[in-house]
Amino acid sequence: MTEKPHEPHAPHGGDHGDGHGAGDAHGHAHGSPFIQHHYDDAQHQFDSGKLGIWLFLAQEVLFFSALFVAYILYRYHHPEIYSYAHKYLDVKYGAINTAVLIFSSLTAAWAVRCAQLNQRRGLILCIALTIGCACAFLGIKYIEYSHKVHEHILFGRYFDPCVSSGGRELLTRNNNCAGTKSTVVWDAGAGTATAGCFADIDQDPRREGVQADCTVKEYTLTETPRRVRAPRNGADGKPVIGKDGQPVTEEVEKIEVTETFKRDLPERCAEEPLPGHGEAEGGAEAAHHAAAEKFPCWRPAYQPAVCKKGVGILVEYGDHEEREHLRIKAECKPPPKPADAGDLLADRSQPLELGVPLIQPRHQLTVHEQHELEAMGPPPEHTNMFFTIYFAMTGLHGIHVLFGVGVFTWLLIRSIKGHFTPDYFGPIDYAALYWHIVDLIWIFLFPLLYLIH
Amino acid sequence: MSSSTATATATADPHHDDDHHGLSHMASIKVLVATGGTLLVLTLVTVLATKIDFGANINLAIAMAIAVLKATLVILFFMHLKYDRLFHSVVFVGAILAAALFVGFTLMDSNQYQQTNIWDPDAPPAAPFGPRPTSG
Repeated sequence: MTEKPHEPHAPHGGDHGDGHGAGDAHGHAHGSPFIQHHYDDAQHQFDSGKLGIWLFLAQEVLFFSALFVAYILYRYHHPEIYSYAHKYLDVKYGAINTAVLIFSSLTAAWAVRCAQLNQRRGLILCIALTIGCACAFLGIKYIEYSHKVHEHILFGRYFDPCVSSGGRELLTRNNNCAGTKSTVVWDAGAGTATAGCFADIDQDPRREGVQADCTVKEYTLTETPRRVRAPRNGADGKPVIGKDGQPVTEEVEKIEVTETFKRDLPERCAEEPLPGHGEAEGGAEAAHHAAAEKFPCWRPAYQPAVCKKGVGILVEYGDHEEREHLRIKAECKPPPKPADAGDLLADRSQPLELGVPLIQPRHQLTVHEQHELEAMGPPPEHTNMFFTIYFAMTGLHGIHVLFGVGVFTWLLIRSIKGHFTPDYFGPIDYAALYWHIVDLIWIFLFPLLYLIH
Repeated sequence: MSSSTATATATADPHHDDDHHGLSHMASIKVLVATGGTLLVLTLVTVLATKIDFGANINLAIAMAIAVLKATLVILFFMHLKYDRLFHSVVFVGAILAAALFVGFTLMDSNQYQQTNIWDPDAPPAAPFGPRPTSG
């Protein structure tokens, strides 16, 4: 980005001394020791570097334009994804980061001014402020990213709205799911309660018109060790046959798990505080109260619709301890079959009345209402594409910020050494220009990603 | 503010202008702070504008208009392009135009195929006229 100054060919003591007024060395190749001999003068070197950085910035515009094309194309064809998915982003963080970057852009521009005026202290302060803001930006980005990693709001197939529901840990128990993801106990197709992973049930609840008319029961698990006689298995896994032709048996310890019905779970508990959160300040009694509230809760699983795999009940647990000793089961009624629009006699719930037209005109939803409805329901298909684009754009931008931190740290060291003088401040100017383009890109990323209406 | 550009003549007479200092244009503190302040205010405005419902398209247009305004401020004053060589503007604006062509042509192209490229297994497109290809 900036030309690397060689070691000074012939150090000129005092040429960049503090006592010198600005502009003493204009147009003289021997002003700053960093003016290299293959340039005519300081102006020549400065202008060459500046042309170079502008060409680099033009390249940056084209570089990012590829990502903007991806964004625009996808938004143009799938607006519903964007109006749904931006809810996962926090405008607050985006706005703070915008302000932080604008401020750092100001300090970067000011740093150039300081260098031009030979204000070494101001230069160091401005560069330090720029680095500080860049680090603050990355810190806020880290908070955002880690939040998304925790909630599985990630790119591609790592976007899992089953986990990200409500920001709580949705856990699994009594099924063979690998991870702590979900408890699915309802096979909507069969209309029976079964246990399994989302992956086990291949249903699209949107098509089925899911109505979660379920009772969810909580069982306590008791593990009783018991000694039983069991056939002994050989090394090949088959029962060992004794001399009398009968399988050889042996005493083994077996743990028997019994389920004891505990209670029906309340239908929803989204508003109730999680243990360790909420009313923690209220003293020991409140803490005890909070601990008593530590029970699993469930919600009808509309979200898994986009898991494409199934329907079920999402159960949230208080902590890992709970998970080990509880079993959740659900009994659900199959969803009511919607009456066929053509079959006028199918809907018997409303008796025919004289004078009332049988067929009511339907309200045709406007595009806006359609979007509103979609935004309330499960995520539309391919919502993960938003996050793929989000992470690609903000990630690449973040790498640029990281690179900027490196460059400005280098400049900070050099400015402390007093390398920069009014006839040699090119690197500061070029780095500031680079920093402005990073700010510029964020100026567009912020409304495009965070402020979708 | 002067609109003089940094030209080679500046070397000969670096102090012909208060804004021009040495090798290139120097921004005054007033301009810097005013630009930064305006950018922050515009950020606030764009956040507040999304709270009001003008319809999705108008909201997007407002947000983009503000973003373009902010970008222009950054380019003109923070990046000194207003006072810089014309050639730098040509390079930069050229890149933006190339990016616009990129976006425009890709959108045109994807529109061209958007409707025809979908294969619905329940309703496959009608077979073309003419003899069917023999299976090989």
